Amino acid sequence: MRNLLKILYTYHFLLMFIALEVISIIMLVQNNRYHSASYAVKAKAVSGSIYSTVSDFKEYLSLKEANKALAHENAILRNYLKSNYGTFDTTKISVNDSIYKQHYRFQDAKVVNNTVNKQYNYITLNKGTKHGIKPDMAVIGPQGIVGLINGVSENFSNVLPLLNVDFRVSARLKKNNYLGSVTWEGKDFEYCTLKDIPQHVQVNKGDTVITTGYTGSFPEGIMIGTVSSSKLKDGNFLSIEVKISTVFKTLSYVSVIEDLTKEEVTKLKTETEK
Amino acid sequence: MIGEYIKIALRFFFLVVLQLLVLNNVQWSGYLNPYLYVLFILLLPFETPNWLLIILSFLLGFTIDSFSNTWGMHSAACVLTGFIRPYFLKIISPRDGYDSATRPIIRDFGLEWVIKYSLILIFIHHFALFYIEVFKFSLFFHTFLRVVLSTLFTFTLVIISHFIIYKR
Repeated sequence: MRNLLKILYTYHFLLMFIALEVISIIMLVQNNRYHSASYAVKAKAVSGSIYSTVSDFKEYLSLKEANKALAHENAILRNYLKSNYGTFDTTKISVNDSIYKQHYRFQDAKVVNNTVNKQYNYITLNKGTKHGIKPDMAVIGPQGIVGLINGVSENFSNVLPLLNVDFRVSARLKKNNYLGSVTWEGKDFEYCTLKDIPQHVQVNKGDTVITTGYTGSFPEGIMIGTVSSSKLKDGNFLSIEVKISTVFKTLSYVSVIEDLTKEEVTKLKTETEK
Repeated sequence: MIGEYIKIALRFFFLVVLQLLVLNNVQWSGYLNPYLYVLFILLLPFETPNWLLIILSFLLGFTIDSFSNTWGMHSAACVLTGFIRPYFLKIISPRDGYDSATRPIIRDFGLEWVIKYSLILIFIHHFALFYIEVFKFSLFFHTFLRVVLSTLFTFTLVIISHFIIYKR
């Protein structure tokens, strides 16, 4: 017994080192996966309020660009105004009735914390359960896709953005509807990778890549980016480099999308896939 | 002596706040991320017992982790840095050892010694941190470039802080 204590005493530094490293690694492995940000929710309540103060200040610095982006978005939205279009004939109106059954509900939110330089980047938004935010809702920015809601506290929510190596979304080429999946390699915050496109597909620089509506609650046709280069990988599939349309570095306002039909769809799925 | 403890506690608090609110927002083109908070480990007195040193390192990393969503990464890197520090100090110790009245600063050991001491420990910390973050070796050289550039950046900030805190 005395010898054991003696050994413990002699090597206490090394033993403490190993113990603390093991604790760190366990934390690392357990908490850095998709869907497990719940652990961070408590810390988020504190850091969220501090970050929102900081971001209030930072907003002033980027006011000009934010205004520009908003004005641009306004212009696009105005194009969709009803008054911009001619009157419908009666047959069309009855067909259009189904449109009034709302499919997606949009809600705006402010980015209070955001990183682009890590492998596992996260974004914090200033809306939480209080405002009806739930995990798995889609988040888009003025220029296109941003990410998925990952963890929610009362007033803040955590987004798993495209710029996180754990993120994955199904996508397709707009011009020929070929399906693939988009991931981020962790290398450059301006580019992501589109995989699983068969090699015979003709891909040109500048082709648009959009979402399919199969992942989470992303609506169909949300812009992801444009093709910048493609090369053959693993025999039959192309690995396509996509320039991300969203400028993550200057992201300040986003929309959170709720899929109103989601419950019905999942219910149907579980019933039929039994 | 009590004054010294308060100074260390204040330094801890100040460096963590500075890191979280200011330096985490510095991200030039994905290559340069300064992590100045390691300065806390560098400036701990020589007579700090080893067990306290490693616990303080862990606490420092853990605090940074819990506020920046990077569970375990900074803790692991800080614990490693804290573990290596005593051995490294032994290697670069002056001929007559460390006097208990001296501190690891320029006035006591000269610029050359401080550069050697800070640069190596910052490099170890950043090396561990960036490779733990990437968690694979497929982007080895890309990550290595990030390590080197960020190390130089942090190192510059550390030397500037030395001149600001301990005016000659």
